[in-house]
Amino acid sequence: MEKSQKYIFLQALIITFIVFNIGIFMGNKLESSRINKINQWYLESDLELLDQKIQSDAFSFIDFDCELLVKENIRFADNIYEQAQIIEKYEEASRINNEIVIQHKRYDLLRTLFWINSIKIKEKCKPDYHNLVYFYKYNEPSLEQKSRQNVIANLLFQLKQEKQDKIMLIPIAADNNLFAINLLLEEYNITELPTVLIDENIKIVSVQELEEIDKYLN
Amino acid sequence: MFVSIYFLSLFLSLYCKNKKNFFNYPKTDKKYSISVLVPAWNEEETIEGTVRAIFAAGYNLEEVIVLNDGSGDNTKKIVEKLLKEYPKLILLNKKNSGKADSLNQGLEMTKGELVAVVDADSYPVTGSFEKMSGFFDDKKVGAVTCVFIPRNKKRFFERLQAIEYNVIAFTRKLLDYVDAIYVTPGPLALYRKSALKKIEGFDKNNITEDIEATWHLTCEGYKRRMCLATHATTTVPIKFKAWYKQRRRWNLGGLQCISKYKKYFFRKGMLGFFILPFFVLQLFLGLLGLSIFVYLVSTRFISNFFYTKYSIELGTSIITMNDLLITPSFLNYLGVILFVVGGFFAILVLFIMKSKILVKQNIFNLLVYLVVYLSVYPFIMITAIYHFIRGTGTWR
Repeated sequence: MEKSQKYIFLQALIITFIVFNIGIFMGNKLESSRINKINQWYLESDLELLDQKIQSDAFSFIDFDCELLVKENIRFADNIYEQAQIIEKYEEASRINNEIVIQHKRYDLLRTLFWINSIKIKEKCKPDYHNLVYFYKYNEPSLEQKSRQNVIANLLFQLKQEKQDKIMLIPIAADNNLFAINLLLEEYNITELPTVLIDENIKIVSVQELEEIDKYLN
Repeated sequence: MFVSIYFLSLFLSLYCKNKKNFFNYPKTDKKYSISVLVPAWNEEETIEGTVRAIFAAGYNLEEVIVLNDGSGDNTKKIVEKLLKEYPKLILLNKKNSGKADSLNQGLEMTKGELVAVVDADSYPVTGSFEKMSGFFDDKKVGAVTCVFIPRNKKRFFERLQAIEYNVIAFTRKLLDYVDAIYVTPGPLALYRKSALKKIEGFDKNNITEDIEATWHLTCEGYKRRMCLATHATTTVPIKFKAWYKQRRRWNLGGLQCISKYKKYFFRKGMLGFFILPFFVLQLFLGLLGLSIFVYLVSTRFISNFFYTKYSIELGTSIITMNDLLITPSFLNYLGVILFVVGGFFAILVLFIMKSKILVKQNIFNLLVYLVVYLSVYPFIMITAIYHFIRGTGTWR
C-alpha cells in the first residue's frame, strides 16, 4: 500500500467525525427549537393561568362575570390539552436533549394548578361542566399499560370532541415524584394507574368501567 | 450510522484520490505461461460454454484442466467431445472430494507460472488473461481478480444481483488501493503458482476456499489486486432459495476464516488491522441491527395487540389523526439522509462502472435493492452462524 493511501483511513475518520458531529449539532438544534417552542407556550400558559388564578381568588370580594370566567377556563383547558399532545410527540422524538422531560414535569404542575383553580371556580360559579382528570403512568409503563393508556387517552379525546365544553380534560403524569401531585393522589386515594377521576369524586380504573363513563357525565 | 458514514467517506475518498487510474491495468511485455483450472461438478449445462470462452479469451494458454469432481451428469461426455477440438484441454476425472481438493490435485498437474481458476459456470471475456497477467510484474502480487457480471439480467432478481455485483466490483477496486482485498472469487482468479504452493494450495476444510486462500496469501505478505479493465460473466442463482444458500455459504466461509485467523487480530498487516476487524464488525453490526429490528417489531406487535384489544372493548377508533401525525427525531432525518446518500452511491457506482444496467435499471429496482435485498443479509448471517456453531453446512 502506498504511504499516501494509508492516511485515507484517518482522513475518512476525520470526515466521519465532522459529518457525525454536524448531525448531532443539527439534531440538538432541532430539539432545542422544539424546547424553545414549549418554553414559549409554557410562559404564555403560565401567565394566563396566573391571570385566572387572580380572578378566582379575587372572586370573593369583586363581582365577576361567572359565565366569562368559566368560558375562559374551558378555553384555557383546551389549549393546554392540545399543547400536551404536541409535547408528547416531541418527547417521543427527543434523542439528545433531556430538557423536554423537565418541561413535561413543569406542565404537569401547571395542569395541577389549573385543576385546583378549576375546582375553586366550580365551587363559586357552579358551572355544568365536569372535571375529568386523567392520571397516567409516565415512567417506564409496560407495553400493556402503555397501550391501555393510549386507548384511554383516545377515548377521553373522543369524549371531549363529543361533549365539547361539558368536559374539562386534564391529563397529569402521576409518577414523577412531584410533591403537590403526590398529595393530591393521596387525597383522592389514587393508587392504581391509569385512573380517571371525575369531578373529584368518581374514580374509574378498569376498562370495563370506562365503557360506562358516559353515565357519569350526564 | 457512524460506521456507515465512515465507510461511505472511506470509499468516496479512495475514489476521488484514484479516479484517474481507476480502470488502468499494468501492460506487460512478458508472456506469462498460464494454466487454467476448471473445477466441475454436475455442470453439463455450462461447461462447454466455459471451456470455449476460456480458449476464446485470446491468450496462448499453457493448458486448461477440467477437474471433473465425480459428476453424475453428462459433464464428462461433453468435455471428452471438446478434447478433440482443443489439444490443450485436459480432463481429470476423479472421485468426488470437493472443490478445494480438486483444485489442489489440479495444481499439482499445472505447468504454468500463473494458475487461473475459472468456475465451470463462468465465462472470461476476450483479453481477460492478458489484462490480468500484467499485475504479476510486481513480484509481491499473489493473486488478481476482476469484475463479474451476471450472465443473464432479464429477470428482476438477476438485475438486483447485477447491481450488487457492480457495487462489489467497485468497492473491491477501492479496497485494492489500501491492500485490503479479502477475496479473489472463483468465477475468475489468477494466482502466482509459487504463492499457491507456499500456502500449500486451497484449504479443504473451508467452505469458501477462495476467501481462505486470499486471507492466507495476505497473511504471507502477498498483494491481491483487482483489475477493473476486464470481466467474466457468471451464472447467478435465479431462485431465492438457491441465492440464499449461496450467500449463506459465503457467510459461513467468512466465519470459518475468522475462526482460523483470529490469532492475527490486530497483527499481520492488513489482515489483522483491516480485513479481520471489518468482517467481525460486519458480523456484529448485522446481529445488532437484526436484534434491534426483532425487538422493535415484537414490541410493536405486542403493543398493537393490546391497543386493538382495548380499542375494541371501549369502542374507540384504532387509528386517530393524532397517530398519523409523525414527529421525526433527528435520527430519523439522519437515517433518511444516509439512505439517500447510499442510493446516490449505488447510482454513482453503476455510472462509473459504465454499467449497461444503469440504463435498464429503474429507480424501483434500486430501491428494492437498498431496502429489501440488503436487509435479507442479517438473516442469512444468522443461519450461517447457526450452521457454523453446529458444524454443518456443505458446499452444495
